[in-house]
Amino acid sequence: MWRALLLVFLVGCAEPEAQPVRLATTTSTANSGLVDHLLTAFTEETGIRVKPMVVGTGRALAAGQNGDADILLVHARPLEDAFLAEGHASERRDVMYNDFVIAGPPSDPAGIRGFERTLYPLLKIRDTGSLFVSRGDRSGTHHRERALWKDAGIEPEGLEGYTEVGGGMAACLIYADEKKGYVLTDRGTYLAVRKRKPFDLEILVEGHPTLRNPYGLLLVDPERHPGGNAAGARRLMDWLTSERGQALIGAFRVDGETLFHPNARP
Amino acid sequence: MDWLGEGFKRAIDLIVSGDAETWHAVWVTLVCSLSATVLAVLTAAPYGAWLALRKPRGHKLQAFLLRIGMFVPTIFIGVLVYGFVSRHGPLGSLDLYATRTAIVIGEFLLAFPILGTFAYGALAKYDPRALETARTLGAGRARTFFTLLGEVRMVLLSAWLVALARCFSELGISVTVGGNVRWDTRTLSSHAMLEVRQGDFGMALALGLILCLLAIPVAIVAHYVSQEEKE
Repeated sequence: MWRALLLVFLVGCAEPEAQPVRLATTTSTANSGLVDHLLTAFTEETGIRVKPMVVGTGRALAAGQNGDADILLVHARPLEDAFLAEGHASERRDVMYNDFVIAGPPSDPAGIRGFERTLYPLLKIRDTGSLFVSRGDRSGTHHRERALWKDAGIEPEGLEGYTEVGGGMAACLIYADEKKGYVLTDRGTYLAVRKRKPFDLEILVEGHPTLRNPYGLLLVDPERHPGGNAAGARRLMDWLTSERGQALIGAFRVDGETLFHPNARP
Repeated sequence: MDWLGEGFKRAIDLIVSGDAETWHAVWVTLVCSLSATVLAVLTAAPYGAWLALRKPRGHKLQAFLLRIGMFVPTIFIGVLVYGFVSRHGPLGSLDLYATRTAIVIGEFLLAFPILGTFAYGALAKYDPRALETARTLGAGRARTFFTLLGEVRMVLLSAWLVALARCFSELGISVTVGGNVRWDTRTLSSHAMLEVRQGDFGMALALGLILCLLAIPVAIVAHYVSQEEKE
């Protein structure tokens, strides 16, 4: 422990121009502005620069595997655990969660407004043949979509209104708005799109713990991929899960709404 | 870099196995590009010719604008068309967003300046008095006009092929107004983009290669057209 700290200290002193920490993260954390909000404070307080790389969870994990990133902030727990088990990461920590919601047209043809669980709404969407817009891109959100359909005992592919739009969360939201369909989205992207363009979709289903979307921090194993800024990456992980980092996450607001809830174990 | 070799292998697999989703994307790409460019030939070529032969007021400015139009990025056309066809836009009631029709509109706007500029360029050298001469010889005005257009058919064919090539490969329009909807508006290029986003570079490369295969017949025709022009 002391040796690690000393190393951090020495690296910090001897190489003020150390290469920036390479953080691979997902669009949901970056588009909302959270990453900038946190990294600005981190760099101010520690002097360590961080270069964020904004990609999907799949790409972020691939970047870690190829040694193109020092630390990952992603959301796909099973994939994260596999990444850790395969030895690509030396450590994983909980850091925060945000939540998914089902958004839909104000007219709500399937009548799902106000539910917390997704089971009944998905059955209603199927039974009314309503349009459901899927990410269809193996993203973290797409994995969750599949899991929720599975919990409801429905195989969505082949349903009358099931449509796959390949273009990211914002593209799916815009398609759902244009065609008056339902869509599973993270709250942050929903708010961001609503703020930027004419947009009618409303949040209809929200609040249940099964809609939580936990984010993990993965420290890329420096022994497997030397040459990165492993010391800086560890500082970043410690800082984000510290009282200070956690407080900043909880205080982050978009349009007065809390998007991310800190949940690091002390 | 394993995916490089894998990409070539998968391109062959997709073609040989007759993968339904890939063939659908090929079909969407062909239908949209052909419709848009044929419409552009039918409208932009007479328009360019009219500018060149009749020299109406402001024809130089219009020809200049056509030329500028060839440089407009497809993403700009895509966003512009989206503004019109969106449910929140002036043509919203037509429900055109994320349809192949919307892609055709966008690609038509992409192809129009190309056809217009080539037609204008080819006919600008004709003396406007040729029209009058032909008329005095008894040819109708419209007939003369189309005879002259026929004279430059090889130029128009080249222009059509250039426009077709741009429509095949464009991404900004098919993603922005097409929506990249599976089994509906997904083109080869927007499908490849989705694979890149998913980190599947091998598949993206395979789809790109299929797009190249589509371009080969176009390139062959273009080659012979240019040969014939030289003779």
